[in-house]
Amino acid sequence: MNKIAKPVMSTGKGTHQAAFDEWQQNYHALIGEDKPVRNRSGIKVEPLYWPSDDPDGAYNEKLGFPGADPMTRGIYPTMHRGRTWSQRQLIGLGRPVDFNGRIKKILASGASALSIIPCNSVYRGIDCDEVEPEILGTCGTIINTEEDMDICLADIPIDEISIGLNDPSPFTMLAQMLVVAEKRGIDWKKVTGTSNQSDYISHFVANHMFYRLSLQGARRVQLDTAAYLAEHVPNWNAFSIVGQHMQQAGATPAQAMGLTLSTAIQYAEDCKARGMDPEKFLERFTFFFDISISFFEEVAKFRAGRRIWNRLVSDRFGVTNPRAKRFKFHAQTSGCDLTRQQPLNNIARVTIQAMAGILGGLQSMHTDGYDEVLSTPTEDSAKVAVSTQNILKHEAHLCDVIDPLGGSYYVESLTDAMEVEILNVIAEIDAEGGMFKAVESGFVQEMIGASALEFQDQVDSGEQIVVGVNAFKEDEDASARPFLKRPSQVHMKQQVEQLKKIKAARDPALLNNALQELRQAARSEDINVFAAEIDAVRAGATLGEIVKVLRDELGFGQPLVVA
Amino acid sequence: MQDQTAEKPGLLARLLAGQTAALARAISIVERDGPTVSALLKAIQPHLGRAIVVGFTGPPGAGKSTLVNAFIGEMRGRGRTVAVAAVDPSSPITGGAVLGDRIRMAEHTMDAGVFIRSLASRGHLGGLSASAARVADLMDAAGFDVIVLETVGAGQSEVEMAEMADVRIVISAPGLGDDVQAIKAGILEIADILVVNKSDLPLAKRTVGQLQAMLALRAPGDWKVPVLATNAVDRTGLCELADAVDHRAATRKMKGPRDALGGRTRRLLAQSVAKYAEHRVLNDTCATIDAVVSDLQQAGIGLDDAITKVLMRLCESQDNG
Amino acid sequence: MNDVLLAPARVLVTKIGLDGHDRGSRIIAAYLRDAGMEVIYTNPWQAIDAVVALALEEDVDVIGISSLATDHLLVPKLMVALDAAGLGHVRVVVGGIVPDEDEANLLAAGVSKVFHPGAVREDIVTEVERLAIAASNERPLD
Ligand code: B12
Ligand SMILES: Nc1nc2c(ncn2[C@@H]2O[C@H](COP(=O)(O)OP(=O)(O)O)[C@@H](O)[C@H]2O)c(=O)[nH]1
Ligand SMILES: [Mg+2]
Repeated sequence: MNKIAKPVMSTGKGTHQAAFDEWQQNYHALIGEDKPVRNRSGIKVEPLYWPSDDPDGAYNEKLGFPGADPMTRGIYPTMHRGRTWSQRQLIGLGRPVDFNGRIKKILASGASALSIIPCNSVYRGIDCDEVEPEILGTCGTIINTEEDMDICLADIPIDEISIGLNDPSPFTMLAQMLVVAEKRGIDWKKVTGTSNQSDYISHFVANHMFYRLSLQGARRVQLDTAAYLAEHVPNWNAFSIVGQHMQQAGATPAQAMGLTLSTAIQYAEDCKARGMDPEKFLERFTFFFDISISFFEEVAKFRAGRRIWNRLVSDRFGVTNPRAKRFKFHAQTSGCDLTRQQPLNNIARVTIQAMAGILGGLQSMHTDGYDEVLSTPTEDSAKVAVSTQNILKHEAHLCDVIDPLGGSYYVESLTDAMEVEILNVIAEIDAEGGMFKAVESGFVQEMIGASALEFQDQVDSGEQIVVGVNAFKEDEDASARPFLKRPSQVHMKQQVEQLKKIKAARDPALLNNALQELRQAARSEDINVFAAEIDAVRAGATLGEIVKVLRDELGFGQPLVVA
Repeated sequence: MQDQTAEKPGLLARLLAGQTAALARAISIVERDGPTVSALLKAIQPHLGRAIVVGFTGPPGAGKSTLVNAFIGEMRGRGRTVAVAAVDPSSPITGGAVLGDRIRMAEHTMDAGVFIRSLASRGHLGGLSASAARVADLMDAAGFDVIVLETVGAGQSEVEMAEMADVRIVISAPGLGDDVQAIKAGILEIADILVVNKSDLPLAKRTVGQLQAMLALRAPGDWKVPVLATNAVDRTGLCELADAVDHRAATRKMKGPRDALGGRTRRLLAQSVAKYAEHRVLNDTCATIDAVVSDLQQAGIGLDDAITKVLMRLCESQDNG
Repeated sequence: MNDVLLAPARVLVTKIGLDGHDRGSRIIAAYLRDAGMEVIYTNPWQAIDAVVALALEEDVDVIGISSLATDHLLVPKLMVALDAAGLGHVRVVVGGIVPDEDEANLLAAGVSKVFHPGAVREDIVTEVERLAIAASNERPLD
């Protein structure tokens, strides 16, 4: 076994041989056939490197072995050497049929999970017949009805693929998808995936388009939905806590991690207060982060986050179940680092960001298109983004070794330093009375705004060089820039007509009754809102109709705007 | 677009007819202090005194803007039109400002019976802007039933609001730390109504109690200052607040020349005299003033005497400089 | 004609349509404030009529629309509505994600300037100030 000399870990007889042995056992049990890995020079590459001679146990306490506390080095014994991350490209455009065509191609090109991005009007909770036609279908797919969802998922085996729904509270897309599955005779117990936009607190703070219901209303729906899914769709992750919005809105990486963990604490406390068992519900918590181009900082952010979460769930919630201590996360390369100028440079940037995410130990990833600053990705740029992941996965030998940066003097010390920063942010939020209160008062919004302005000043002053923007500028030919064609207005009109037809074909008595039941559920604390929502979808209710009822009863989502 | 200017009635006529665009433009003219201001103000004078002017003051974050929003809703529900002048602080260094009060009043944007104008303090101390009194007059002339002044609320003495408003509302919120303290420091004296906003927060009852205890120490006057609890978000207590405002306005309107309108006029006069004097003293080439300056410098005369001399000189000649 | 402003420029910084990105608009509000302007800042999702009502009541010199999620496609409607309300002198600038092709359409509809990602503080402030002076000079006196 190779050894890494580390100043913090003096030499002597190894005290964590036992822990190593345990990991090795787990590793072999899980990995199946372990093909020997050699580098281009023929050197055999071990799955993990560690200081086998640390006498005071500091290694085990701070880093440990993959899959064992504190999970700094990874949440599974095998990590990417066993199973690589899922490639979850976010896609959505135009009509459901356009999405379906596109997603099939993406799946064929290597993506292993699918993600649906709906149109902006869907995020706002409005049906397409109430939106100005110019802005329909420009950023995502129009999904207003169960029929729309059925078309989106045509020929796609819902039960064989992991599905990510960009579906904010009150989770109408999930309700529609479950009804589609039901009609296709698919057992809900086989449906796997994530509501990756369930984090209404992050919407209130940083992603206003998704913010549909008032904070209190969204909180209620969230808890009802989680309880319902735990019972009926047990392999669905009801909680994805999103640090990406806050980092993209301007939070530093440490702030974003701290705020996300504070949000997770808030949700966990809410679930606990509802009588749910942390040992169970924490198993289904997943996270969603931004990966900036600040390479080592991002790696350290993820390693520190993993360690903090692992300890925090036992300290605050008394959790012992190892599965509930795993810090599972999806990550997306940051669009904020990408430039409109010299757009092909973005391929290099995305590659670096993606590497930081992989070496940081992510479970799932989206890579941005090089045309990020021009429009939602063209087919060409989406292909390059997927290929980038394939290249990193299969050509670059990044997955041979678990946590390959572990043990680097720099990365370990940076991980410690980031941990301190992140814990400081969590302490600040605790002092504000928790995340819920800290966002209601605008504390978090102000913190993020100040960081955003500070960063912008660094770019403006040239202190932070951005190639093509404030340095190495070139005259560019505007007509050479890629730009996604907008959906045709004719198609959009057809979509609106289609909705009108679907609406007219419903049984009005059945529909009204279901909407009335939904209203009743919202009013009464004892009736599960999400169950009523599924019934409403079964009765043909549209997105807009469902959201309207819930807005009436639970409050319209008005963000706290802080200038 | 066709040319409207040809038959368009004059600004004054349109203002008196209550046209939004005319009121907005008139406020800009007053704010920019252009040459036509004096004539405009003179012309509207006969049309003033109909509205009731309500001042909202209190520390930042107490919920003034949110409460004004709810108050507008309540008054609209009673069939009254409302104009609001909301003042935010200008940066003392750059002079710039972000005027965010109306973010909280967004639901009234499209209501023709509501007019909202954001004003920057532009270095003026006292919680309002230098032009606030005249802005209130313009709103009055435009026929609004209720005029709301929201002050900066950064702990200034806010006496101006006291002079200009028929009804002075002082707002605090539980848990803002030392705001009860700040209220002690003088602002209590001007309040007609004390509001503890955010009544949904845990310490609200205690704050109400503290304020009531403080009021009990004051000599009884002809108006008993009520302490009201409100929740500006769900609008609890707004009906009581509006009732109290109407009640107070009715009692104050009967009191004669030193009412709020008189106060506004007096404040306008004081400001204008000061500004006129400042301009002349700084810009005139005048031997008398030069002499007074050098006398002052050499401590030949006191400041009191100097003021008298300069004022007499200014009265003698208007055309100098 | 003045080539300086007699009072601070008044600028409405707002968002129309469905978009909610506000990192850029908050930065712009701070830029303009720091340059001595008075910024009226709003909630997102303003209807075109609401922008006109705001511009009218606040008697602004410049309207700045920040648009990242294609809502700039509604700006031509705003230009028509402003004209109809007698606010033809008010200058409109748009910033955010605006494809080149759309930029040409916006300029043709009367937008004064489009700012793209990478625009720097100094250029933004200088241009808005210049436009405020122009608007102020054209503002009808009554
Ligand atoms: C950050 C970001 C987010 C954050 C927003 C956080 C926040 N609170 O603002 C989050 C993660 C929440 C987000 C979400 C979404 N986003 Co987004 N996002 C971005 C991203 C990566 C950067 C935008 C940014 O803030 N840049 C930094 C700021 C400082 O720059 P800026 O706003 O461009 O401002 C500069 C100039 O443009 C100009 N300017 C801007 N506004 C104004 C106004 C005035 C008056 C002036 C003078 C100048 C000016 O000056 C500024 C300084 O230079 C862009 C891609 C990109 N790189 O631009 C995508 C992007 C804008 N997002 C996009 C989309 C589609 C979305 C979503 C709808 C995603 C989805 N479908 O699920 C959601 C909805 C967002 C919402 N709430 O409305 C698309 C829009 C596609 C299009 N236009 O065709 C983009 C282009 C990405 C892409 N290629 O797909 N996003
Ligand atoms: N809980 C609660 N919050 C309120 C209430 N009134 C206002 N707020 C919140 O307090 C904050 C500051 O309000 P704002 O009206 O801007 O205060 P201002 O600075 O005094 O004008 C905002 O977040 C409001 O939503 C209330 O009655 N209860
Ligand atoms: Mg205010």
